[in-house]
Amino acid sequence: MTPTAEQTTVDLSVDLGRGLELANPIMVASGTFGYGIEYGDVIDVEQLGAICSKGTTLRPRIGNPPPRVTETPAGMLNSIGLQNPGVDAVLEKYATRWAGWRVPVIVNVAGESVEDYTEVARRLDGQPGVAGIELNISCPNVGAGGLQFALDAGAAGEVTAAVRRATELPVMVKLSPAATDVRGIARAIADAGADAISAVNTLPGMAIDRHRRRPLLGNVYGGLSGPALKPVALRVVYEVAQTVKLPIVAIGGVGSLDDVLDFLYAGARAVQVGTAVFADPQLPVRLVDSLANWCAEQGYASHLEVVGAALPSKRDKPSVKGVEYRP
Amino acid sequence: MKLLRAELVDSREFLPGQWLQRYSAPWLAAGVQAGQFVHVRTPDYSGLVLRRPFSINTFDRSTGEITIHFRVTGVGTTWLARMQTGEFAEMLGPLGQGFERDPRTRHVLLVAGGLGMAGVRSMADEALAAGCEVAVLFGAASAAEVYPSGLLPDEVEYVVSTDDGSFGHAGRVTDLVERFEAWADQCFACGPQPMLAAMARLAAGRAGRLGVARLGARRGRTTRNAPLGSRQARRRAWLQVSMEQNMGCAVGACLGCVVMGVEGPQRVCREGPVFAAEEIAWEGWR
Repeated sequence: MTPTAEQTTVDLSVDLGRGLELANPIMVASGTFGYGIEYGDVIDVEQLGAICSKGTTLRPRIGNPPPRVTETPAGMLNSIGLQNPGVDAVLEKYATRWAGWRVPVIVNVAGESVEDYTEVARRLDGQPGVAGIELNISCPNVGAGGLQFALDAGAAGEVTAAVRRATELPVMVKLSPAATDVRGIARAIADAGADAISAVNTLPGMAIDRHRRRPLLGNVYGGLSGPALKPVALRVVYEVAQTVKLPIVAIGGVGSLDDVLDFLYAGARAVQVGTAVFADPQLPVRLVDSLANWCAEQGYASHLEVVGAALPSKRDKPSVKGVEYRP
Repeated sequence: MKLLRAELVDSREFLPGQWLQRYSAPWLAAGVQAGQFVHVRTPDYSGLVLRRPFSINTFDRSTGEITIHFRVTGVGTTWLARMQTGEFAEMLGPLGQGFERDPRTRHVLLVAGGLGMAGVRSMADEALAAGCEVAVLFGAASAAEVYPSGLLPDEVEYVVSTDDGSFGHAGRVTDLVERFEAWADQCFACGPQPMLAAMARLAAGRAGRLGVARLGARRGRTTRNAPLGSRQARRRAWLQVSMEQNMGCAVGACLGCVVMGVEGPQRVCREGPVFAAEEIAWEGWR
């Protein structure tokens, strides 16, 4: 029997490993949604699949000098520089609130050294309200640490393994689109015991203040996000999906149901909405409904049925592709 | 704070490149405080990923209308300027902390540089409605950019300076402050950062003898207990400034719009856009 829209019950739930079960695959991306409370009544956070918190470090960070954001063609640059009050203050201020929510809060963790990452992970371990860790090894806006862990398979594997040992929490590692070949890095992360991979963080870029003839951002460089980043993110998801078996969470220019579907076809099981939240805070919640309706119309009981639909039936030959997009 | 659709009622270019738009937004008009802002999304949003923040220039609770004042500087403002009456803009607001007027204040001084008029304009109405006397000092590059006096309430004293001397006082708007500083109980300013920094220097040097501080002293009150950045502390500050910064979310989530404060980075969208002058680290970052 062919199911019709009325008959199909759609189950949008998705398992990101180690017991991290989301009611639906629409998450909000780190850095665009603060600690989940800032948008107040404008959006019902309980309707989201998960919330990724602002990047959190061991010690408080003051961040980068302003200006920190600017719009660019079909996107934006940000160079916040991981301003945050430090893990202890974050837990003290927000964890109780998070614990009262059904929506899982995944704390985005950043650091300058392996020790920083593991110490933050240790302090988050077992805290009520903390559902998981997103390991931010790909922030382009800080000096030491940050991006370097995401460009080298050895370093990525090392920090992932160390965090894995420090916590029982589900660990999702966030890739950088700046890596020459993400496959080796994804493999190292998977081998080191990560539960999921999120891809991608922002891509380093810059803008010029034409009137003053100098870099526009206070920090000179910033991370590119928004629709402009989507093709790059699709490429990374597509490659990682062929490399590792871990659940992949796609990030990069999600602004419509079509974008969500593209990422599912490329191999992602969930997506994060980031930059689009700024223009349209209610978009993530609407996407949950649109995805459910679409699945029902198409007769799918779960969106997972279409995950990887665009992947080749045979795996690509191992990596000569890496050199093709080397800058 | 609410997301709502606001109908464009009137739109005009009242100075070259500068626009005044009137929107019907009863919910906003009813709840807004002078100095707050809205985050606006244009109807056709192709290619734009960010909203645009605008000070609420004036608001009228009886008609349910608000106005915004902007200069066309890029794609976002170009889109806004092209909007036709009857079209809708999506607004998020009211946002941020407005000006804090001490209830004892009788003489209000507003100082605006260029587009900074948009930041302080609503305070003129509010102060007059509260029975205050209001003086507006305005600085522009030249006569061609002087804010028309017809757009201000009749009751205000309006003094203009131009950089090139083509209208009013030749020089900086801050030169005019001296004449009014003893008279003013409180001062509210908006404009380019160097202008605000100059204002802050003026105010800092005279803090003990000025305005509300003087009122407080006369009544034997102290301002020392209120923590920096609190409403009470701001209410007792002689100088409050409305700050500007590139903005992302406008609700305090993204930390994109900070300015440096003496106690660390301050979000223009959340702790601001209005700050007491002594909250800001005027020498800049670090």
